[in-house]
Parts: sequence; structure tokens; C-alpha cells
Amino acid sequence: MSDKEKRGNPWALRFTTLGIVLIPVAVGINYVGKLFASVLKLPLWLDSIGTILAGMLAGPWIGAISGAVNNAIFGITVDPISFWYLITSIAIGLVVGYFAFTGWVSNIGRAAVLGIIVGAVAAVVSTPINVILWQGQTGNVWGDALYTVLVGNNWPVWLASFLDEVVVDIPDKLASVIIGFLIFKALPNRLVGLFSGSGKDVESI
Amino acid sequence: MRLSLYVEGDGWVHRLDPLTKVIIAVSAIALTFILTNLVANGAILFVSLALLTAAGALRRALPVFAGALLLALTFFIIQGLVYPGNRTVAVAAGPVALYREGLLVGLHLALRLYNILSATLIIVLVTHPTHLVEALVRRGLSPRFGYVLMAVLQIIPTMADQTKAIMDAQRSRGMETEGKLWTRIKAFIPLMGPLVTSSLISTEERALALEVRGFGDNARPTFLREEHIPGYGIVLRWIALAALVSGIVMRWGFGWL
Repeated sequence: MSDKEKRGNPWALRFTTLGIVLIPVAVGINYVGKLFASVLKLPLWLDSIGTILAGMLAGPWIGAISGAVNNAIFGITVDPISFWYLITSIAIGLVVGYFAFTGWVSNIGRAAVLGIIVGAVAAVVSTPINVILWQGQTGNVWGDALYTVLVGNNWPVWLASFLDEVVVDIPDKLASVIIGFLIFKALPNRLVGLFSGSGKDVESI
Repeated sequence: MRLSLYVEGDGWVHRLDPLTKVIIAVSAIALTFILTNLVANGAILFVSLALLTAAGALRRALPVFAGALLLALTFFIIQGLVYPGNRTVAVAAGPVALYREGLLVGLHLALRLYNILSATLIIVLVTHPTHLVEALVRRGLSPRFGYVLMAVLQIIPTMADQTKAIMDAQRSRGMETEGKLWTRIKAFIPLMGPLVTSSLISTEERALALEVRGFGDNARPTFLREEHIPGYGIVLRWIALAALVSGIVMRWGFGWL
């Protein structure tokens, strides 16, 4: 399985036709994840699994573009507010892509740590957006309840807003990265090699 | 199933070219952040709603507005309760009090939310997504990137249709999709797995199909449709930009609004 762990320079540009075709599929997977999560009435969004998989397969750049396209498309079609969280999605793709190419998707324990890192990064990036747009509220019931209690007890708005985002983002991104990891591990090695652009690994199997 | 909320039509708003609508929407959104005055924000909302009405798209905008109502309500309640600048009690019920300053912040945030929504809906409801992408490619967006945007619009309805087939298939094998939280969590992977794996495997085929059709070629493509920019479109662009500039001057030049 070493070909899935060390796969060359993480920052290499993988804008091959295959890498470009992966982007719309990643956005589709994001959408389907969100759809299944709402059909199953799960208390999470699970709407970034595609971005995470794109990062794992084709590195940080394709991951970041998948995230950006995801929010841009939903912004101009069904959910105007999603456009504002474009930067968060880009950060998720970058972080997952970089860590995946430096050996962080080798086992489930590391994937879980990566999930927490991604959740923390998403919260850090989203907090300024929440503060600029909505005085720090997020629109999530549990997060906003915490926000109300904290601001009511004279906590700074920034910190309350960050914690508001953290309680939602960490569980969501942890679950998303673990699901992404399980799917990634189940993919044929040949396909993983094709996306990361390391043709030699395919022949050596 | 169709992803876009686009409303068919042939009025003067529909005939505006995509770029003009983008300029109007971006100016309106920028102004709602630049102007802190409530009346000014109300005026921007009025203009956006008037444009949506003229396009015959207001009825389709209502579900989006209704969907944001809960969020708008939480702005009033949460800011009314705990906004750090709260001084004057407006409504009191026992130990709980809503403050005037916080309610005004709530009103400001709600106006901002609806301004962003209605300005964006001018693009979303009145511009066909394909035309928007084409207008962007015409102005220098990479055609490959244009393909990515178009492909998303086609892939999502296809994948959403496949979800139903997979749900039925897994249920017929006895998988439970209702009940306790853990049961529902366990159902997620068998539902996602097949769809994700098959769509990732099919990317290879699609990449080959695209490459034999000249996807990797660097020549500029020609377009199926002619772009038509109506004369009043140019006028509206200048009005939108003039409003934006005067907003900036009034806020930072004179300190008004």
C-alpha cells in the first residue's frame, strides 16, 4: 500500500484532463453526501466529502478548486449564502490535499487526527466571515445557542463566534474525513495512481 | 430534477446580458456593506425587489426569502438579548429583556441578509447558468474551467437520480434507513460507497472521451450563440457603478449615512 502513502510532491500541479474531470464529480459527491445526510436525518452536514476525496486523490490544488467550484455553483443556483463560505471550502481542499500527500491517510487513526485539523481550520476561516456578515452568528441552532450564552456572559464576540463554529465544524469534518478515508481506501490502486499522476506505481504493482 | 432556480422569461430584465446583471448584483451587495444607514439599506432592497418583480421572478424568490426567515428571526432574538452595546430595554418579560440597540443591530443584519439574497437572486433567477458561464468564457475564463462549471450543472441531477436507485437497492437487501441514530449512521457508508466509487471510476472514461474530442487543445473556442448587449444594459451598468462610487464617497468622503 506504500503507493497510497508517499505519492510525490504535494504541491505539484495535477491539472491533467483526469484531474479536471474529477472536479465536477467531487462537487456531485458533496451534493449527494448532503442529500443522504438529510434523508437519514443525520445531525451533520456531510457536504464536503467530495472536496475531501478530491484533495486525497489529486492533491491540494484540485481539492481547493473543487471546494471553490462547489460553493460558487451553489451560490449562483440554489443557495446564495454559500458563495460567502467559498474560502472555507478552498481551505478544506488545500489542507486535506497537503496532508494526504504527506502520509496522513495511511491509517484510520491518522485520518481522525486529520479530520480534527480540518474542522479546526474550517472554523478558523469561517469565523471572520461570520463576524463580518452576521455579527458572529452561524445559523446553526446548537452553535447559536452556545453563542448566546457566551456573549450573554460577556465573552468577546470573536471567541463566542469561533466556539459557535467549532462545535458544529469539528464533528462534521471529523465524520467527513473518516468517510472520505474509508471510500479512498476501498478504491482500486490503479485509479489512485492515475489521479496522483504517478504512472510508475501502477506498473510496479 | 433541475439544479437551477432559473425562471423562463423574455422581459427587459431577462434580455440584459449576464455581465450587466453581475455588475448590478455586486454593486448592490457592496453597497449594503458600505452604507450603515437603515433607510439606505431599505432603499437597496427596494431596488433589488423591483428588478425581481419586473422580471416576473418575485414569486419564485418567495420560497428562498421564507427559508431565510428563521435565520433573520434569530438575529433579532440573539442580538436583542446579548449584543454587547445593549443599554435601553425595549421589551421585558420577567428576567428576560430585549434591548433596543440589539434589536436595531438585528434589523440591520436581517436587511443585509435579504439584500444579499435578493441581489444574488437577480443573477440566479433571471440568468440561465449556461449563458453566465458562456459570458465568462468570452471574457477570458479558461474554456476548460467553463467545462467544469457546466459539467457540475449536469452531473448533480444525474447523481441525485442515482441516489434513489441505490436507496431502493440497499433497502431491498434489508438495510435499515430509519430508527436509532446509530442505525442511520451505519446506513450512510453503504449508500455513499457505491455511488462515489462508480462515479470516480467513470471519470477515467470521461477524461479519455474528452481528450479525443480536443479538450487539451489550447485554441480559443468559437461560440454557438451571439452575445447581444442591449443599449439600456450599458446605461444600467453605469448607474450601478455610479451608485457604488457615490456610496463610497458619502460614507468615507463626507461621513454621511
